[in-house]
Amino acid sequence: MRFDGGEESRERGETAVYETLKKILVDTLKVEPEQITPEATKDDLDLDSLAFVELSMVLGKEHGLHISDDELFDMETVGDIVALMEERAGDRS
Amino acid sequence: MTGLDIAVTGLGLVTPGGVGVEAGWAAVRAGRSTAAHDPVLAGHEVTISCRVPDFDADALLGARRAVRLDRFTRLALVAAREAVAGEDLAGWDAARVGVVIGTSAGGVETFERQHGVLLADGPTGVSPLVLPMHLPNMVAGQLAIEFGFRGPNLVVSTACASGATAIGVACDLLAARRCDVVLAGGVDALLTPVTMAGFARMGALSRRDDPATASRPFDVDRDGFVAGEGAAVLVLRRAEDARADRRRVRARVVGYGATADAHHITNPDPEGRGVIAATKAALADAGASAPDVDHVNAHGTSTQLNDLVEGRVLAELLPSGPLVTSTKGVTGHMLGAAGAAEAVFTVLAVEQGLVPPTANLATLDPRLDLDVATSAVPREIDLALSNSFGFGGQNAVLAIAKA
Repeated sequence: MRFDGGEESRERGETAVYETLKKILVDTLKVEPEQITPEATKDDLDLDSLAFVELSMVLGKEHGLHISDDELFDMETVGDIVALMEERAGDRS
Repeated sequence: MTGLDIAVTGLGLVTPGGVGVEAGWAAVRAGRSTAAHDPVLAGHEVTISCRVPDFDADALLGARRAVRLDRFTRLALVAAREAVAGEDLAGWDAARVGVVIGTSAGGVETFERQHGVLLADGPTGVSPLVLPMHLPNMVAGQLAIEFGFRGPNLVVSTACASGATAIGVACDLLAARRCDVVLAGGVDALLTPVTMAGFARMGALSRRDDPATASRPFDVDRDGFVAGEGAAVLVLRRAEDARADRRRVRARVVGYGATADAHHITNPDPEGRGVIAATKAALADAGASAPDVDHVNAHGTSTQLNDLVEGRVLAELLPSGPLVTSTKGVTGHMLGAAGAAEAVFTVLAVEQGLVPPTANLATLDPRLDLDVATSAVPREIDLALSNSFGFGGQNAVLAIAKA
């Protein structure tokens, strides 16, 4: 089953952009996948300012999505970060 | 007796013999070299090293913890966890627990890798973690973060003597009553391209083709050291406290001598004056004299210069002929970890009454009048010395006595 498909997962906020973020959190920052939900806060995931610098770098380099670490750090939850990523991806297209 | 009397109550090791004290001591006792051709060094002038085998940092530390640590800190953290494994950490007064770790260069693997990123991707490609991973002091800081120890926290650097210097400094902190417990040790993970190219260019490394026979301390045909990596951590406390707490004391550190050659950046003083002074200082600390020394774990790097100068000093200072060994024949030269790992081997030798062999010693250098163990020798040991000397002419000698 793919998470970026059906209505149900979309309603839970688990879009393709969400999956992209989740993959970065897991692969680069080594967050446990089961910890990651749209509602999880940066404190829940133990993400510090350096982690947001890394996230910003991966988004820019591998996804062409240029969002500063300060902007990302201002977000509270995973869902907030996804919303910011979607907004910027929309601006770009 | 001047009164240095520090109990060793915990041991942790990560060496080319494997992860853990048991694996390292078994390899050393067996007297077989751990050297092998190293794929990281393909294309180098010298391609052999002594790596820690099967070190799975994600499995040992967790991927989240490991991803932010350079290899040198990973090795030290695993050794430290073993050293405190039997302790009731919740019962310790964290403010009175110190950490002193020796390393010659810190997280060089991270630094070299990130320099590659800089050249390939420019400055904005460089990881924000390069400094927290590379800075030499971070290893002591990470141990404090891991265990919550809030006392004096420092890293010392005396090149290949770093691990022994750290133990000496830790003993001084305990004797001065600045701490009640100190985690002391050494670490280096410098089997990296730039470091190894530098050692090779200096002419410090063995050029033998056969890894198994390359590290041969005190042998007439020695031609340089084999670089290794590793970490060793000891739990130290004042012997009086250990006795009052009825702790198991593995052995005691009863003397420490620290001197500088003030001679040359890499060559030892040919007359060994700094080594002689350090040895005398360690013996004076212990209230002991030359005939009291039963065993010496020599620096014994397998270079022409070190082994000649050190061997002559030992013969001159200790004419009663203690049984000498160099465990570097097995482990290679673990650099900043060597002094601490060899202190652990010396503690085990004293505790078990067993002098481990010097691997690959086929023919003793005829210029040396030494009794060197070539097989594991049962021997009652009341007092032993562990020698460590660093580039820069920094010397550290530890005197280790039976519990």
